[in-house]
Amino acid sequence: MSVIVSAAQWFADPTRWSGPDGIPQRLLEHVEISAASVAIGALIALPIGILLGHYGRFGNVAINISNVGRALPSFGVLVIAFQVFGLGNLPILVALVALAIPPMVTNSYVGLREVDPDVKEAARGMGYRELAQLMRVEMPLAVPLLMAGIRTSAVQVVATATLAALIAGGGFGRYVIDGFAQQDYTKVFAGAVLVGVLAMATELSLSGVERLLVPRGLRLLQAPVARRATTFKTA
Amino acid sequence: MNRMAYSGRFLAGIAALVFMAAACGGSSGTPTTTSKGTLTVAGFNFPESSILAEIYGQALAHDGYTINYKLLLGTREVVAPALESGQIDIYPGYAATDLEFYNKSAGEANGDAVATTAKLNSHLQPLGLLALDPSPAVDQNAFAVTKATQAKYNLTKLSDLAPIGGQLTLGAGPECPTRPFCLPGLKKTYGITFKAFKPLDTDGPLTRAAFKNGSIDVGLVFSSDGDLNSLGLVVLQDDKHLENADNVVPILRQAAASDEVKKVLNAIDAKLSTADLVTLNSQVSIQHQDPDAVATAWLQQHNYSS
Repeated sequence: MSVIVSAAQWFADPTRWSGPDGIPQRLLEHVEISAASVAIGALIALPIGILLGHYGRFGNVAINISNVGRALPSFGVLVIAFQVFGLGNLPILVALVALAIPPMVTNSYVGLREVDPDVKEAARGMGYRELAQLMRVEMPLAVPLLMAGIRTSAVQVVATATLAALIAGGGFGRYVIDGFAQQDYTKVFAGAVLVGVLAMATELSLSGVERLLVPRGLRLLQAPVARRATTFKTA
Repeated sequence: MNRMAYSGRFLAGIAALVFMAAACGGSSGTPTTTSKGTLTVAGFNFPESSILAEIYGQALAHDGYTINYKLLLGTREVVAPALESGQIDIYPGYAATDLEFYNKSAGEANGDAVATTAKLNSHLQPLGLLALDPSPAVDQNAFAVTKATQAKYNLTKLSDLAPIGGQLTLGAGPECPTRPFCLPGLKKTYGITFKAFKPLDTDGPLTRAAFKNGSIDVGLVFSSDGDLNSLGLVVLQDDKHLENADNVVPILRQAAASDEVKKVLNAIDAKLSTADLVTLNSQVSIQHQDPDAVATAWLQQHNYSS
């Protein structure tokens, strides 16, 4: 219980809320590096997953490669990237992008693959060209799984961005690493809480985005779709 | 039967080792048939200690002693009891760290080498041990800048940083803001307030990378590190003695501390400098030379061999 009390006191201290080591600055750093990593990861992963799912080819290759990617330890990638690129945000970005890609490839591939063939045929029958069919029919139907991939990536990236502090980066990991070095375990605990809260906030806000993006027609079938989404997220 | 054969071989092996050690150390030009006595020199389990032990040992061998070496013997927890029990006679100590070891971390060490060594001797005396004169050579926490920064602000000592600290970024281990020898001490003793502090590591790869890409101006290093020269780093002199005086100091058994031994070792200590330690360490840890060879070379430079 005393841990919680001292953590509460830690958060109540007004000096925690300003300056270069204050929570707002660390939050900004943490969100910046995470958002950049997920965005770059999405730019790489989503086109691959979407195209492979759309054409229905080489799916096993893509999924196997990205599953191997999931097995890469982020800390190892971080250390190697540090050796290659030196100090700065680049090695952190490399490690987090590598972490962000696999769930988005897998989920977007499956999302496009699972679009009902009857719907695709109907679209073609109504005169949709290939690109329009992909953009206006298949993609909206795949939104729940696309978003599940993005959400999984984002939550993993936010949690793992904590490692940045190991190579002198910013973010909430600073509190964990610094607290450990200073034997200030309240700080370690507070840092861990902040990372956890941010990860949950990421999950919730992306769920909100997903709700906005899902077409109304699909929303009517929401319950089974939601089940599908969570199935693939944990796969 | 078998056991006797083994122990015989074992003894022969020991004798051979002793002979080899003596031969290694024996850079003495005078092949003395009558040794002045046998001394056992030990070192801690890191290269600098091996170098220092070789320097002491070879200088004493040059003076006519027969020397046994027990290099890389272990940490202070191993070496100090071996000295007390007489298994070894001498080891190269560090004034402040040894004081805090023998006084069980009472916090008596300070930045004054002579005072710290006197305190150390007050704890060694009842154990039948003795610390000689502290050398100017020191292996302690130190603050370094690049040669470019040094030239730009014309820096030689830490107090030079006080007026310009506001333009500089300090890099050190994340514990620095709470340790008296680091940020709080720099502020209190020297009145230095840095523009920013970057949490890195203590003299590790992060500090080196940060120096390289210019994200820090001042970094925490160890004063005798072998790669300071090759990295183009200059240690700023701790002119107000913020850091504990970890000057090199030989610690020996009073029984072994004849006037002649004291004279030889004190003369060595007086000649050894921190810059020498940096060079010697780099020869061993970067150029992979043997500690006994670099010790011989150092002694030759300082006229210990004929």
